[in-house]
Amino acid sequence: MIRAFLTGIRVHLVQLVRSPFDLVAMLIWPIIYASIAYYLIGTGSNTRVLFTASLGAAMMMLWSQVIVGSGFALDMQRNQGTLELLVAAPVPLVAVIAPIMIASAAFGIYGLLVTLAWGRFAFGIPVAIDHPVAFAMAAAAAILAVGLLGLIAASLFVLTRAAAYVGVALQYPVYLASGLIIPLAILPAWLGPISWVLAPTWGYRGLTHAASGTGAWREIGMCLLLSVIYLVVALPCLAWFERLARERATLRLS
Amino acid sequence: MNWLRVFFHGGLTSYRALFAWINPWVFLPMLVAYPVFQTVFYVYLGRAADVADDAFFVIGNSFVAAAVTGLFGMGQAIAGERRFQTLPVLLASPASRLALFLGRAVPTIVNGFVVAVITFVLGAAMVGVNIDRNAYGGLALALATSCFACAALGLCVGSLTFRTRSITVFADTIGALMLLITGANVPIGRLPDTLQNIADYVPLTHGIHAARLLAAGASVADALPQIRDELLVGVAYFTAGLLLLRHFERDGRRAGSFERF
Repeated sequence: MIRAFLTGIRVHLVQLVRSPFDLVAMLIWPIIYASIAYYLIGTGSNTRVLFTASLGAAMMMLWSQVIVGSGFALDMQRNQGTLELLVAAPVPLVAVIAPIMIASAAFGIYGLLVTLAWGRFAFGIPVAIDHPVAFAMAAAAAILAVGLLGLIAASLFVLTRAAAYVGVALQYPVYLASGLIIPLAILPAWLGPISWVLAPTWGYRGLTHAASGTGAWREIGMCLLLSVIYLVVALPCLAWFERLARERATLRLS
Repeated sequence: MNWLRVFFHGGLTSYRALFAWINPWVFLPMLVAYPVFQTVFYVYLGRAADVADDAFFVIGNSFVAAAVTGLFGMGQAIAGERRFQTLPVLLASPASRLALFLGRAVPTIVNGFVVAVITFVLGAAMVGVNIDRNAYGGLALALATSCFACAALGLCVGSLTFRTRSITVFADTIGALMLLITGANVPIGRLPDTLQNIADYVPLTHGIHAARLLAAGASVADALPQIRDELLVGVAYFTAGLLLLRHFERDGRRAGSFERF
Protein backbone atom coordinates (compact mmCIF):
# COMPACT_ATOMS: atom_id res chain seq x y z
CA MET A 1 0.00 0.00 0.00
CA ILE A 2 2.86 2.37 0.83
CA ARG A 3 4.51 1.47 -2.48
CA ALA A 4 1.26 2.18 -4.35
CA PHE A 5 0.93 5.49 -2.50
CA LEU A 6 4.49 6.66 -3.22
CA THR A 7 4.40 5.44 -6.82
CA GLY A 8 1.10 7.25 -7.29
CA ILE A 9 2.61 10.53 -6.12
CA ARG A 10 5.66 10.08 -8.36
CA VAL A 11 3.60 9.15 -11.45
CA HIS A 12 1.17 12.04 -10.99
CA LEU A 13 4.00 14.53 -10.47
CA VAL A 14 5.70 13.28 -13.64
CA GLN A 15 2.41 13.70 -15.51
CA LEU A 16 2.03 17.24 -14.18
CA VAL A 17 5.51 18.34 -15.24
CA ARG A 18 4.87 16.84 -18.70
CA SER A 19 1.54 18.67 -19.08
CA PRO A 20 1.83 21.97 -20.96
CA PHE A 21 -1.56 23.05 -19.64
CA ASP A 22 -0.66 22.53 -15.97
CA LEU A 23 2.79 24.06 -16.36
CA VAL A 24 1.49 27.17 -18.11
CA ALA A 25 -1.58 27.56 -15.88
CA MET A 26 0.57 27.30 -12.76
CA LEU A 27 2.85 29.95 -14.25
CA ILE A 28 0.19 32.42 -15.42
CA TRP A 29 -2.60 32.30 -12.83
CA PRO A 30 -0.55 33.11 -9.70
CA ILE A 31 1.02 35.99 -11.60
CA ILE A 32 -2.42 37.29 -12.58
CA TYR A 33 -3.89 36.89 -9.08
CA ALA A 34 -0.86 38.50 -7.47
CA SER A 35 -0.69 41.34 -10.00
CA ILE A 36 -4.37 42.21 -9.57
CA ALA A 37 -3.83 42.30 -5.81
CA TYR A 38 -0.67 44.44 -6.14
CA TYR A 39 -2.33 46.96 -8.46
CA LEU A 40 -5.47 47.17 -6.33
CA ILE A 41 -3.60 47.47 -3.03
CA GLY A 42 -1.13 49.86 -4.66
CA THR A 43 2.35 48.91 -5.81
CA GLY A 44 3.83 51.54 -3.52
CA SER A 45 2.26 50.05 -0.39
CA ASN A 46 4.08 48.38 2.48
CA THR A 47 6.12 45.50 1.04
CA ARG A 48 5.05 43.21 3.88
CA VAL A 49 1.41 43.69 2.85
CA LEU A 50 2.27 42.95 -0.78
CA PHE A 51 4.28 39.89 0.24
CA THR A 52 1.27 38.62 2.18
CA ALA A 53 -0.83 39.08 -0.97
CA SER A 54 1.75 36.97 -2.85
CA LEU A 55 1.27 34.16 -0.36
CA GLY A 56 -2.49 34.47 -0.73
CA ALA A 57 -2.18 34.17 -4.52
CA ALA A 58 0.06 31.10 -4.10
CA MET A 59 -2.44 29.44 -1.76
CA MET A 60 -5.23 30.20 -4.25
CA MET A 61 -3.33 28.28 -6.91
CA LEU A 62 -2.59 25.43 -4.55
CA TRP A 63 -6.30 24.97 -3.86
CA SER A 64 -7.21 25.36 -7.55
CA GLN A 65 -4.68 22.75 -8.58
CA VAL A 66 -6.14 20.28 -6.09
CA ILE A 67 -9.82 20.88 -6.74
CA VAL A 68 -9.67 21.45 -10.50
CA GLY A 69 -6.44 19.77 -11.56
CA SER A 70 -7.09 16.52 -9.75
CA GLY A 71 -10.75 16.50 -10.81
CA PHE A 72 -9.73 16.61 -14.43
CA ALA A 73 -6.88 14.16 -13.76
CA LEU A 74 -9.47 11.62 -12.66
CA ASP A 75 -11.67 12.58 -15.61
CA MET A 76 -8.70 11.85 -17.88
CA GLN A 77 -8.39 8.41 -16.30
CA ARG A 78 -12.09 7.92 -17.05
CA ASN A 79 -11.62 9.00 -20.69
CA GLN A 80 -8.62 6.72 -21.12
CA GLY A 81 -10.44 3.78 -19.58
CA THR A 82 -8.00 3.39 -16.68
CA LEU A 83 -10.33 4.52 -13.88
CA GLU A 84 -12.01 1.13 -13.76
CA LEU A 85 -8.62 -0.56 -13.44
CA LEU A 86 -7.66 1.75 -10.58
CA VAL A 87 -10.92 1.05 -8.76
CA ALA A 88 -10.62 -2.69 -9.40
CA ALA A 89 -7.01 -2.84 -8.12
CA PRO A 90 -6.59 -4.83 -4.87
CA VAL A 91 -5.11 -1.84 -2.98
CA PRO A 92 -7.66 0.38 -1.23
CA LEU A 93 -8.98 3.16 -3.47
CA VAL A 94 -7.70 5.80 -1.05
CA ALA A 95 -4.11 4.65 -1.77
CA VAL A 96 -4.73 5.35 -5.44
CA ILE A 97 -6.68 8.61 -5.21
CA ALA A 98 -4.90 10.33 -2.30
CA PRO A 99 -1.54 10.48 -4.17
CA ILE A 100 -3.22 12.38 -7.02
CA MET A 101 -4.55 14.95 -4.55
CA ILE A 102 -1.32 15.31 -2.60
CA ALA A 103 0.83 15.46 -5.75
CA SER A 104 -1.47 18.18 -7.11
CA ALA A 105 -1.08 20.14 -3.89
CA ALA A 106 2.70 19.62 -3.93
CA PHE A 107 2.74 20.98 -7.48
CA GLY A 108 1.41 24.17 -5.88
CA ILE A 109 4.94 24.76 -4.58
CA TYR A 110 5.86 25.63 -8.15
CA GLY A 111 3.07 28.26 -8.00
CA LEU A 112 4.46 29.58 -4.71
CA LEU A 113 7.94 29.96 -6.20
CA VAL A 114 6.53 31.62 -9.34
CA THR A 115 4.54 34.10 -7.24
CA LEU A 116 7.48 34.99 -5.00
CA ALA A 117 9.82 35.36 -8.01
CA TRP A 118 7.26 37.52 -9.85
CA GLY A 119 6.79 39.77 -6.84
CA ARG A 120 10.55 40.06 -6.33
CA PHE A 121 11.62 40.74 -9.91
CA ALA A 122 8.58 42.54 -11.38
CA PHE A 123 7.49 44.57 -8.35
CA GLY A 124 10.60 44.63 -6.15
CA ILE A 125 8.86 42.91 -3.23
CA PRO A 126 11.55 41.35 -1.03
CA VAL A 127 11.16 37.69 -0.13
CA ALA A 128 11.15 38.30 3.61
CA ILE A 129 10.82 35.02 5.52
CA ASP A 130 11.80 35.45 9.17
CA HIS A 131 11.45 31.75 10.11
CA PRO A 132 12.45 29.65 7.07
CA VAL A 133 12.12 26.32 8.92
CA ALA A 134 8.61 27.12 10.15
CA PHE A 135 7.77 28.41 6.64
CA ALA A 136 8.87 25.13 5.05
CA MET A 137 6.93 23.13 7.62
CA ALA A 138 3.85 25.31 7.14
CA ALA A 139 4.08 24.73 3.37
CA ALA A 140 4.35 20.95 3.87
CA ALA A 141 1.43 20.93 6.32
CA ALA A 142 -0.65 23.03 3.93
CA ILE A 143 0.08 20.64 1.05
CA LEU A 144 -1.02 17.66 3.14
CA ALA A 145 -4.16 19.32 4.49
CA VAL A 146 -5.33 20.87 1.21
CA GLY A 147 -4.62 17.60 -0.61
CA LEU A 148 -6.72 15.65 1.89
CA LEU A 149 -9.51 18.24 1.70
CA GLY A 150 -9.48 17.51 -2.03
CA LEU A 151 -9.81 13.81 -1.19
CA ILE A 152 -13.33 14.43 0.13
CA ALA A 153 -14.25 16.01 -3.21
CA ALA A 154 -12.47 13.18 -5.04
CA SER A 155 -15.01 10.67 -3.81
CA LEU A 156 -17.58 12.62 -5.81
CA PHE A 157 -15.22 12.73 -8.81
CA VAL A 158 -15.25 8.94 -8.84
CA LEU A 159 -19.05 8.88 -9.02
CA THR A 160 -19.69 11.22 -11.94
CA ARG A 161 -17.73 13.05 -14.61
CA ALA A 162 -19.76 16.22 -13.95
CA ALA A 163 -18.07 16.47 -10.55
CA ALA A 164 -14.87 17.73 -12.16
CA TYR A 165 -16.85 20.79 -13.23
CA VAL A 166 -18.19 21.22 -9.71
CA GLY A 167 -14.54 21.52 -8.72
CA VAL A 168 -14.22 24.52 -11.03
CA ALA A 169 -17.12 26.20 -9.25
CA LEU A 170 -15.60 25.52 -5.83
CA GLN A 171 -12.48 27.62 -6.42
CA TYR A 172 -13.69 31.13 -5.59
CA PRO A 173 -16.02 30.18 -2.71
CA VAL A 174 -13.03 28.64 -0.90
CA TYR A 175 -10.79 31.63 -1.71
CA LEU A 176 -13.45 33.82 -0.12
CA ALA A 177 -14.21 31.64 2.88
CA SER A 178 -10.52 31.15 3.62
CA GLY A 179 -9.76 34.86 3.56
CA LEU A 180 -7.09 34.47 0.88
CA ILE A 181 -5.86 38.01 0.02
CA ILE A 182 -9.15 39.42 1.36
CA PRO A 183 -9.24 39.95 5.15
CA LEU A 184 -11.93 37.82 6.79
CA ALA A 185 -12.91 40.89 8.82
CA ILE A 186 -14.63 42.51 5.85
CA LEU A 187 -16.47 39.34 4.84
CA PRO A 188 -19.87 38.36 6.29
CA ALA A 189 -19.50 37.12 9.87
CA TRP A 190 -21.12 33.75 9.13
CA LEU A 191 -18.12 32.86 6.98
CA GLY A 192 -15.92 32.85 10.08
CA PRO A 193 -16.84 29.37 11.39
CA ILE A 194 -16.65 27.97 7.84
CA SER A 195 -13.11 29.33 7.48
CA TRP A 196 -12.01 27.39 10.57
CA VAL A 197 -12.66 24.02 8.91
CA LEU A 198 -10.95 24.90 5.63
CA ALA A 199 -7.31 23.91 5.24
CA PRO A 200 -6.38 26.88 2.97
CA THR A 201 -7.26 29.23 5.87
CA TRP A 202 -4.68 27.65 8.19
CA GLY A 203 -2.17 26.99 5.44
CA TYR A 204 -2.24 30.65 4.42
CA ARG A 205 -2.05 31.85 8.03
CA GLY A 206 0.81 29.44 8.71
CA LEU A 207 2.80 30.78 5.77
CA THR A 208 2.15 34.44 6.61
CA HIS A 209 2.92 33.99 10.32
CA ALA A 210 6.13 32.06 9.58
CA ALA A 211 7.16 34.74 7.10
CA SER A 212 6.53 37.54 9.58
CA GLY A 213 8.12 35.61 12.46
CA THR A 214 5.03 35.66 14.67
CA GLY A 215 4.92 31.89 15.18
CA ALA A 216 3.17 29.44 12.93
CA TRP A 217 3.10 26.30 15.09
CA ARG A 218 -0.57 26.66 16.03
CA GLU A 219 -1.51 26.96 12.32
CA ILE A 220 0.70 24.00 11.41
CA GLY A 221 -0.98 22.00 14.17
CA MET A 222 -4.41 22.96 12.83
CA CYS A 223 -3.38 21.81 9.35
CA LEU A 224 -2.33 18.44 10.75
CA LEU A 225 -5.50 18.13 12.84
CA LEU A 226 -7.68 18.98 9.84
CA SER A 227 -5.73 16.45 7.74
CA VAL A 228 -6.75 13.70 10.16
CA ILE A 229 -10.38 14.90 10.20
CA TYR A 230 -10.51 15.10 6.39
CA LEU A 231 -9.13 11.56 6.13
CA VAL A 232 -11.73 10.28 8.58
CA VAL A 233 -14.49 11.95 6.57
CA ALA A 234 -13.07 11.00 3.16
CA LEU A 235 -12.64 7.27 3.79
CA PRO A 236 -16.34 6.40 4.21
CA CYS A 237 -17.30 8.90 1.48
CA LEU A 238 -14.85 7.27 -0.91
CA ALA A 239 -16.12 3.79 -0.04
CA TRP A 240 -19.75 4.85 -0.42
CA PHE A 241 -19.30 6.64 -3.75
CA GLU A 242 -17.14 3.81 -5.09
CA ARG A 243 -19.94 1.38 -4.26
CA LEU A 244 -22.51 3.68 -5.92
CA ALA A 245 -20.34 4.02 -9.03
CA ARG A 246 -19.98 0.23 -9.24
CA GLU A 247 -23.73 -0.29 -8.76
CA ARG A 248 -24.66 2.29 -11.37
CA ALA A 249 -21.85 1.24 -13.69
CA THR A 250 -20.86 4.87 -14.24
CA LEU A 251 -17.08 4.48 -13.95
CA ARG A 252 -16.64 4.23 -17.71
CA LEU A 253 -19.22 6.87 -18.64
CA SER A 254 -17.42 9.85 -20.06
CA MET B 1 -30.01 29.04 -49.34
CA ASN B 2 -27.27 26.47 -48.80
CA TRP B 3 -25.19 29.22 -47.14
CA LEU B 4 -27.98 29.78 -44.61
CA ARG B 5 -28.41 26.02 -44.05
CA VAL B 6 -24.69 25.65 -43.29
CA PHE B 7 -24.84 28.74 -41.11
CA PHE B 8 -27.82 27.68 -38.98
CA HIS B 9 -27.58 23.88 -38.91
CA GLY B 10 -23.79 23.82 -38.61
CA GLY B 11 -23.84 26.41 -35.85
CA LEU B 12 -26.64 24.74 -33.91
CA THR B 13 -25.11 21.26 -34.15
CA SER B 14 -21.71 22.55 -33.12
CA TYR B 15 -23.23 24.37 -30.14
CA ARG B 16 -25.06 21.24 -28.99
CA ALA B 17 -21.81 19.30 -29.16
CA LEU B 18 -19.91 21.96 -27.25
CA PHE B 19 -18.77 20.86 -23.79
CA ALA B 20 -20.53 17.53 -24.52
CA TRP B 21 -23.50 18.82 -22.52
CA ILE B 22 -25.28 15.81 -21.18
CA ASN B 23 -27.00 17.55 -18.33
CA PRO B 24 -27.10 20.97 -16.62
CA TRP B 25 -24.57 19.79 -14.04
CA VAL B 26 -21.87 20.75 -16.50
CA PHE B 27 -23.38 24.14 -17.40
CA LEU B 28 -24.32 25.32 -13.91
CA PRO B 29 -20.95 25.03 -12.15
CA MET B 30 -18.88 26.24 -15.10
CA LEU B 31 -20.99 29.06 -16.46
CA VAL B 32 -23.13 30.17 -13.54
CA ALA B 33 -21.47 29.41 -10.19
CA TYR B 34 -17.86 30.08 -11.25
CA PRO B 35 -18.39 33.58 -12.74
CA VAL B 36 -20.81 34.63 -10.00
CA PHE B 37 -18.40 33.71 -7.20
CA GLN B 38 -15.54 35.28 -9.15
CA THR B 39 -17.57 38.51 -9.21
CA VAL B 40 -18.23 38.37 -5.48
CA PHE B 41 -14.54 37.68 -4.76
CA TYR B 42 -13.36 40.73 -6.70
CA VAL B 43 -16.09 42.91 -5.19
CA TYR B 44 -14.73 42.09 -1.73
CA LEU B 45 -11.13 42.52 -2.90
CA GLY B 46 -12.16 45.93 -4.25
CA ARG B 47 -13.78 46.80 -0.93
CA ALA B 48 -10.64 45.75 0.94
CA ALA B 49 -8.44 47.85 -1.33
CA ASP B 50 -10.98 50.70 -1.47
CA VAL B 51 -10.24 51.33 -5.12
CA ALA B 52 -13.64 51.38 -6.82
CA ASP B 53 -17.30 50.79 -6.06
CA ASP B 54 -19.02 47.42 -6.26
CA ALA B 55 -20.64 48.17 -9.64
CA PHE B 56 -17.15 48.51 -11.14
CA PHE B 57 -16.37 44.87 -10.34
CA VAL B 58 -19.84 43.49 -11.08
CA ILE B 59 -19.74 44.97 -14.58
CA GLY B 60 -16.11 43.99 -15.20
CA ASN B 61 -16.55 40.38 -14.17
CA SER B 62 -19.87 39.96 -16.00
CA PHE B 63 -18.03 40.92 -19.19
CA VAL B 64 -15.17 38.56 -18.33
CA ALA B 65 -17.73 35.74 -18.02
CA ALA B 66 -18.78 36.46 -21.60
CA ALA B 67 -15.13 36.52 -22.68
CA VAL B 68 -14.33 33.12 -21.21
CA THR B 69 -17.42 31.67 -22.87
CA GLY B 70 -16.43 33.18 -26.21
CA LEU B 71 -12.79 32.14 -26.03
CA PHE B 72 -13.37 28.56 -24.94
CA GLY B 73 -16.65 28.10 -26.82
CA MET B 74 -15.42 29.35 -30.17
CA GLY B 75 -12.01 27.79 -29.71
CA GLN B 76 -13.44 24.39 -28.84
CA ALA B 77 -16.04 24.59 -31.62
CA ILE B 78 -13.11 24.25 -34.03
CA ALA B 79 -10.72 22.23 -31.86
CA GLY B 80 -13.51 19.74 -31.12
CA GLU B 81 -13.80 18.97 -34.85
CA ARG B 82 -10.17 17.92 -34.85
CA ARG B 83 -10.43 15.98 -31.63
CA PHE B 84 -13.35 13.95 -32.91
CA GLN B 85 -11.70 13.64 -36.34
CA THR B 86 -14.45 15.42 -38.26
CA LEU B 87 -12.21 18.31 -39.31
CA PRO B 88 -11.03 16.73 -42.61
CA VAL B 89 -14.65 16.00 -43.57
CA LEU B 90 -15.64 19.56 -42.72
CA LEU B 91 -12.77 21.07 -44.70
CA ALA B 92 -13.25 18.76 -47.66
CA SER B 93 -16.75 20.19 -48.13
CA PRO B 94 -17.22 23.05 -50.58
CA ALA B 95 -19.21 25.02 -47.98
CA SER B 96 -18.43 28.69 -47.49
CA ARG B 97 -15.91 29.06 -44.71
CA LEU B 98 -17.60 32.29 -43.63
CA ALA B 99 -20.92 30.45 -43.23
CA LEU B 100 -19.20 27.58 -41.40
CA PHE B 101 -17.39 29.65 -38.84
CA LEU B 102 -19.86 32.53 -38.51
CA GLY B 103 -22.53 29.90 -37.88
CA ARG B 104 -20.39 28.53 -35.06
CA ALA B 105 -19.75 32.01 -33.68
CA VAL B 106 -23.39 33.08 -33.33
CA PRO B 107 -24.44 30.48 -30.69
CA THR B 108 -21.25 31.26 -28.79
CA ILE B 109 -22.08 34.96 -28.82
CA VAL B 110 -25.63 34.28 -27.61
CA ASN B 111 -24.31 31.91 -24.96
CA GLY B 112 -21.77 34.50 -23.76
CA PHE B 113 -24.49 37.13 -23.59
CA VAL B 114 -26.78 34.90 -21.52
CA VAL B 115 -23.95 33.87 -19.17
CA ALA B 116 -22.92 37.51 -18.67
CA VAL B 117 -26.51 38.56 -17.93
CA ILE B 118 -26.90 35.74 -15.38
CA THR B 119 -23.58 36.73 -13.78
CA PHE B 120 -24.61 40.38 -13.68
CA VAL B 121 -28.06 39.73 -12.21
CA LEU B 122 -26.91 37.22 -9.57
CA GLY B 123 -23.68 39.08 -8.78
CA ALA B 124 -25.48 42.40 -8.39
CA ALA B 125 -28.15 40.81 -6.21
CA MET B 126 -25.56 39.15 -3.94
CA VAL B 127 -23.56 42.32 -3.29
CA GLY B 128 -26.44 44.80 -3.50
CA VAL B 129 -25.63 46.73 -6.67
CA ASN B 130 -28.43 48.68 -8.34
CA ILE B 131 -28.17 50.15 -11.81
CA ASP B 132 -30.74 52.46 -13.37
CA ARG B 133 -33.08 50.49 -15.65
CA ASN B 134 -32.73 53.17 -18.33
CA ALA B 135 -29.16 51.99 -18.81
CA TYR B 136 -30.12 48.38 -19.59
CA GLY B 137 -30.56 48.89 -23.34
CA GLY B 138 -27.15 50.51 -23.73
CA LEU B 139 -25.55 47.88 -21.48
CA ALA B 140 -27.03 45.13 -23.66
CA LEU B 141 -25.58 46.79 -26.76
CA ALA B 142 -22.12 47.09 -25.20
CA LEU B 143 -22.29 43.50 -23.96
CA ALA B 144 -23.39 42.10 -27.33
CA THR B 145 -20.50 43.92 -29.00
CA SER B 146 -18.03 42.53 -26.49
CA CYS B 147 -19.45 39.02 -26.93
CA PHE B 148 -18.81 39.31 -30.67
CA ALA B 149 -15.27 40.61 -30.11
CA CYS B 150 -14.48 37.75 -27.72
CA ALA B 151 -15.91 35.12 -30.06
CA ALA B 152 -13.72 36.67 -32.78
CA LEU B 153 -10.66 36.28 -30.57
CA GLY B 154 -11.85 32.72 -29.89
CA LEU B 155 -11.83 32.14 -33.66
CA CYS B 156 -8.15 33.12 -33.74
CA VAL B 157 -7.46 30.78 -30.83
CA GLY B 158 -9.47 28.00 -32.48
CA SER B 159 -7.44 28.33 -35.68
CA LEU B 160 -4.37 27.25 -33.70
CA THR B 161 -5.92 23.80 -33.49
CA PHE B 162 -4.19 23.11 -36.82
CA ARG B 163 -0.82 23.57 -35.15
CA THR B 164 -1.26 22.28 -31.61
CA ARG B 165 -2.88 19.37 -29.81
CA SER B 166 -4.80 21.52 -27.39
CA ILE B 167 -5.94 25.10 -27.66
CA THR B 168 -6.97 25.11 -24.00
CA VAL B 169 -3.55 26.40 -22.96
CA PHE B 170 -3.98 29.47 -25.16
CA ALA B 171 -7.62 30.08 -24.22
CA ASP B 172 -6.85 29.74 -20.52
CA THR B 173 -3.82 32.03 -20.70
CA ILE B 174 -5.64 34.72 -22.67
CA GLY B 175 -8.65 34.44 -20.36
CA ALA B 176 -6.38 34.95 -17.36
CA LEU B 177 -4.65 37.95 -18.93
CA MET B 178 -8.02 39.53 -19.72
CA LEU B 179 -8.85 39.60 -16.00
CA LEU B 180 -5.94 41.97 -15.55
CA ILE B 181 -5.35 44.06 -18.64
CA THR B 182 -8.89 44.85 -19.84
CA GLY B 183 -9.70 46.89 -16.78
CA ALA B 184 -12.20 44.31 -15.57
CA ASN B 185 -10.70 44.25 -12.09
CA VAL B 186 -8.04 46.93 -12.07
CA PRO B 187 -8.72 50.50 -13.21
CA ILE B 188 -6.77 50.93 -16.47
CA GLY B 189 -5.03 54.02 -15.07
CA ARG B 190 -3.34 51.87 -12.40
CA LEU B 191 -1.69 49.61 -14.96
CA PRO B 192 1.76 50.32 -16.44
CA ASP B 193 1.81 52.26 -19.73
CA THR B 194 2.73 49.18 -21.77
CA LEU B 195 -0.31 47.25 -20.53
CA GLN B 196 -2.54 50.29 -21.06
CA ASN B 197 -1.42 50.46 -24.69
CA ILE B 198 -2.00 46.73 -25.22
CA ALA B 199 -5.43 46.97 -23.58
CA ASP B 200 -6.68 49.23 -26.39
CA TYR B 201 -6.36 46.32 -28.83
CA VAL B 202 -7.87 43.62 -26.65
CA PRO B 203 -11.58 42.68 -26.68
CA LEU B 204 -13.54 43.77 -23.60
CA THR B 205 -11.54 46.91 -22.77
CA HIS B 206 -13.77 49.31 -24.69
CA GLY B 207 -16.95 47.34 -23.98
CA ILE B 208 -16.35 47.43 -20.24
CA HIS B 209 -15.51 51.13 -20.43
CA ALA B 210 -18.76 51.79 -22.32
CA ALA B 211 -20.78 49.74 -19.82
CA ARG B 212 -19.32 51.65 -16.88
CA LEU B 213 -20.12 54.97 -18.57
CA LEU B 214 -23.70 53.83 -19.13
CA ALA B 215 -24.06 52.55 -15.57
CA ALA B 216 -22.83 55.92 -14.32
CA GLY B 217 -25.66 57.66 -16.16
CA ALA B 218 -24.15 58.50 -19.55
CA SER B 219 -26.36 58.30 -22.61
CA VAL B 220 -25.91 55.67 -25.31
CA ALA B 221 -24.61 58.43 -27.59
CA ASP B 222 -21.87 59.20 -25.08
CA ALA B 223 -20.83 55.53 -24.97
CA LEU B 224 -21.04 54.98 -28.74
CA PRO B 225 -17.37 55.78 -29.47
CA GLN B 226 -16.30 53.05 -27.03
CA ILE B 227 -18.82 50.58 -28.46
CA ARG B 228 -17.59 51.44 -31.97
CA ASP B 229 -13.98 50.77 -30.93
CA GLU B 230 -14.99 47.44 -29.40
CA LEU B 231 -16.75 46.51 -32.63
CA LEU B 232 -13.67 47.45 -34.66
CA VAL B 233 -11.47 45.31 -32.43
CA GLY B 234 -13.93 42.42 -32.93
CA VAL B 235 -14.01 42.84 -36.72
CA ALA B 236 -10.20 42.93 -36.80
CA TYR B 237 -9.93 39.69 -34.80
CA PHE B 238 -12.67 37.99 -36.82
CA THR B 239 -10.90 38.88 -40.07
CA ALA B 240 -7.58 37.72 -38.62
CA GLY B 241 -9.22 34.47 -37.47
CA LEU B 242 -10.63 33.73 -40.94
CA LEU B 243 -7.27 34.51 -42.57
CA LEU B 244 -5.45 32.28 -40.08
CA LEU B 245 -7.93 29.46 -40.71
CA ARG B 246 -7.48 29.81 -44.47
CA HIS B 247 -3.70 29.83 -44.14
CA PHE B 248 -3.60 26.83 -41.80
CA GLU B 249 -6.14 24.95 -43.92
CA ARG B 250 -3.98 25.35 -47.04
CA ASP B 251 -0.91 24.38 -45.06
CA GLY B 252 -2.69 21.37 -43.59
CA ARG B 253 -3.82 20.18 -47.03
CA ARG B 254 -0.28 20.47 -48.35
CA ALA B 255 1.27 18.68 -45.36
CA GLY B 256 -1.57 16.18 -44.92
CA SER B 257 -1.63 17.08 -41.23
CA PHE B 258 -5.36 17.47 -40.50
CA GLU B 259 -5.48 14.27 -38.49
CA ARG B 260 -2.01 14.39 -37.02
CA PHE B 261 -1.87 14.67 -33.24
